[in-house]
Amino acid sequence: MTKTTRRTLLGAGAALTAAPALAQARWPVRPVQMLCPWAAGGGTDAVVRIIATLLEKEVGQPFNVVNRTGGSGVVGHAALAQAAPDGYTVGIITAEICMLHWAGLTEVTYRNFTPLGLMNNDPPGIQVNNTSPYRDVRQLADAIKASRPGQMKASGTGQGGIWHLALAGWLQAMGLPAGHVRWVPSNGAAPAMQDLAAGGLDFTTNSVVEGRAMIDAGRARSLAVMATERLGVFPTIPTLKEAMGIDYATGAWRGIAGPLNFPAEARTAMNAGLDRVFKSREYNEFMNARGFGLSYADADGFGRYMAAADVSLGDAMKSAGLARS
Amino acid sequence: MDAVIEGFRLVAEPDVLIAIFLSAIYGLVVGSLPGLSATMATALLVPVTFWLSPIAAIATIITASAMAIFSGDIPGALLRIPGTPASAAYTDEAYAMTRKGQAELALGAGLWFSAIGGIVGTLSLMLLAPALAEIALSFSTYEYFWLAFLGLMCATLVARSSPIKAIASMLLGLLISCIGMENPAGTPRFTFGIPDLLGGIEPIPALVGVFAVSEVMRAMATAEPPKLPDRKFGSILANQWMLTKKYQWPMWRGNFVGIIIGVLPGAGADMAAWVSYAMSKRFSKEPEKFGTGHPEGLVEAGASNNASLASGWVPSLLFGIPGDTITAIAIGVLYMKGLNPGPTLFTERASSMYALYIIFILANIIMIPLGIVMIRLASRVLRAPRSSVMPLILLLCAVGSFATGSNVFSVMLVGVFGCLGYAMEKNGYPVAALVLGIVMGSMVETNFITSLIKSDGDVLPFFERPVSSILAGLTFAALLWPLGAWAWARFPGRRRRTAAAAE
Amino acid sequence: MQLSDRITGGMLVALGAASAWSGSLLPAVPGQDVGPAAFPMIIGFGLMGCGALIAIGIGRSFEVDDLDEPAPKTGPLSGLRVLIPPALLLFYALAADTLGFLPTAAIMVLLGAKALGAKWPLAISMAIIGPVLVHLAFYKLLRVPLPPGLLPAPW
Repeated sequence: MTKTTRRTLLGAGAALTAAPALAQARWPVRPVQMLCPWAAGGGTDAVVRIIATLLEKEVGQPFNVVNRTGGSGVVGHAALAQAAPDGYTVGIITAEICMLHWAGLTEVTYRNFTPLGLMNNDPPGIQVNNTSPYRDVRQLADAIKASRPGQMKASGTGQGGIWHLALAGWLQAMGLPAGHVRWVPSNGAAPAMQDLAAGGLDFTTNSVVEGRAMIDAGRARSLAVMATERLGVFPTIPTLKEAMGIDYATGAWRGIAGPLNFPAEARTAMNAGLDRVFKSREYNEFMNARGFGLSYADADGFGRYMAAADVSLGDAMKSAGLARS
Repeated sequence: MDAVIEGFRLVAEPDVLIAIFLSAIYGLVVGSLPGLSATMATALLVPVTFWLSPIAAIATIITASAMAIFSGDIPGALLRIPGTPASAAYTDEAYAMTRKGQAELALGAGLWFSAIGGIVGTLSLMLLAPALAEIALSFSTYEYFWLAFLGLMCATLVARSSPIKAIASMLLGLLISCIGMENPAGTPRFTFGIPDLLGGIEPIPALVGVFAVSEVMRAMATAEPPKLPDRKFGSILANQWMLTKKYQWPMWRGNFVGIIIGVLPGAGADMAAWVSYAMSKRFSKEPEKFGTGHPEGLVEAGASNNASLASGWVPSLLFGIPGDTITAIAIGVLYMKGLNPGPTLFTERASSMYALYIIFILANIIMIPLGIVMIRLASRVLRAPRSSVMPLILLLCAVGSFATGSNVFSVMLVGVFGCLGYAMEKNGYPVAALVLGIVMGSMVETNFITSLIKSDGDVLPFFERPVSSILAGLTFAALLWPLGAWAWARFPGRRRRTAAAAE
Repeated sequence: MQLSDRITGGMLVALGAASAWSGSLLPAVPGQDVGPAAFPMIIGFGLMGCGALIAIGIGRSFEVDDLDEPAPKTGPLSGLRVLIPPALLLFYALAADTLGFLPTAAIMVLLGAKALGAKWPLAISMAIIGPVLVHLAFYKLLRVPLPPGLLPAPW
């Protein structure tokens, strides 16, 4: 019985290796572990799983996704930064890595990683329960301005997470203190959307895609998106600028990275593999099907991208009073 | 009706049938290895599904997860090593039956009532999905807090020990779940400067340690027990019909509770099994037999377990909200295959939905013959000498715990939990309650703290919402039960009866 | 290892006090009224309460003695024998990276089997076959990377 299963899987494995593998490179000779600092089922998890699946096809070894969740992403990012730099542990890193250290939650910064490629960027939306009285974002904004500090509750991710910062940035752009709306920490966007639908929250500021199934089901509405232009997959949702004249845009980006001192051979192979993954039909179809934004930068470009993001997110956090260092 | 016929046609494709068969065997094998979870079995299938047709891809996930949940009962019953946190609730009961020479009755009950639970759960998914979804959406953090609290109270009902010691064990589990940064504030707690503890303690190494390793430790200290009577393994299913008739009510109650708990995202099969086992004991006519090898609890918890697995797909399919880690993986596969979750899946892709229902039912039907083969193979373990089985279990504990985190620290953790479990058992503290505390800890805390944040520190909203007030009432009833029972036992006349029942 | 309820109850009171005290030292989170301290403190007080009740013997009447407990092994150092399994796990955790999975697992199974009173032929054959089967199942079927060390598997 075991034999049959093993053969089948081996057969499947052989099919994978038959796909264009790197002929000259020795890396990887064994399965690669791919860390994900966020829980299974969330947006980052979905992106890392599709990348892992396609990398497996490109590079010829399994990429096993391991979810190391907790502490608003601190645990997983630290685990990747501290992993042995042997080329067999890589991971997905998210915008939070340019925020957590400002909040004094970790010592780990983007400088503790070897960037390998930027794969995606998603702007936040503003979602309310379908029965909510606010028909557009201007009405919600007026209600927020009229409310007592801490009276209204919003969620979308953990304390000090990217969507928390998106809320703070939006409030500030409206001339309100960042703590005017109380943040309810949640373990990712899915529980927040569930709580929104259950009537436990006033609104959420997670990305539109993370609330998409709830929106499609008619349980939630997205009032605006905090981006410079409308999203290709959700063309009916106005940007903040269109809806209320506030020019505020941010986003949750995701990229693949390894620990520092990542072997050069593995870095070259990963860079090439991620480039092919990003251009593949499967990746584009998947990302479009799920509504994820497609943004790409190669290993060096991703490094520069993170350096710029670190400065701008740090500035935003300091002015919002979320920074401690 | 056309959609139903189209659904059958989709499932009857040879590649789908082959996928169901192979993933069934795969799920049975992986689930039966101690230390490997159904989640892991499913996650490992994802890369394979990429090359399958949409229906075949979903079929592998559904089949493998259902099989793995059932076969997690096998090492639990034969060796007292639960395969999943879900089966930890009734492991002692099943093992007690094995000690009485009724291993096949215990495992047969697991198999038969798992299959029934799976089919009833699927029917509820087919007929009641929109109504069940309403239940799931009426749960805010307040309701989840009470639900989790209620789940914790089950520890006192399950244990064959003093309720105070059961609560103490459960609190110890909660304290262990505080370790690390997995809390709403993201602050490291009780890590003692050890980086490996930042991520917290996973339930699987704790489960493996307190059950499996402590069992090997006990074997070291005791002489080889007399061999079990070398009974012929008769028909596994022969007695199940009798049990079905005898325990019809518990079975239906188990199905019902499983369906309700299953649709709540985050609660899932683990909690369903605990709550059902506790309810079974609470409402049984012969509660004193529980823990001595009595099948009634197995019937109810086994049915509940698998019913929750099927109904757990309701929030996933309607809202894209994962009920547990398995459905989280399945949602990714659904999106990847263009079957985007949402109400439109039920209307526009009705034939695919019917195909999905048919696969659920098919998987639960072929579980019976394949499960019988698996039980027969696994039962050989009982006849092997202890000195050959126990070292292998220890090796599997080491490798299995290594597999979940790819980390040698979890191997040491398993050893520590082995010592803890051994010491607790020796002193009458139930280890199952400890596991319950570890499993439920983060759910209790997250929902407690976020509810307090939402209510600005006010406790009134915990009781104001209609569902939360009902759950709060149930919780206080369960909370006061041990006190009432203690007063009852102190009553002179009653006390003699309790003592007599204990013998 | 069998201790009186007075001692285990007292240990729980101490543990509860320690967790409540160290919980109360945890820093608050800016912008939130309820921080990381609340939950450990509640558990700590709960543990102290339960420990005190156990120490004074409440609830003892519910406990059921295990009737079919097998006879304990006698002989010198029999109490320490229970520590063999955790010691073997510790050995695995420390040695697996250097020695590799197959030798480490073989030693573990051999010592475990001997400690349980297996005859040499059985123990040695178990030590050879067991690790190979486990390696095949985990490395090939489940794709768990196991350390190769001194003796990498030939597949």
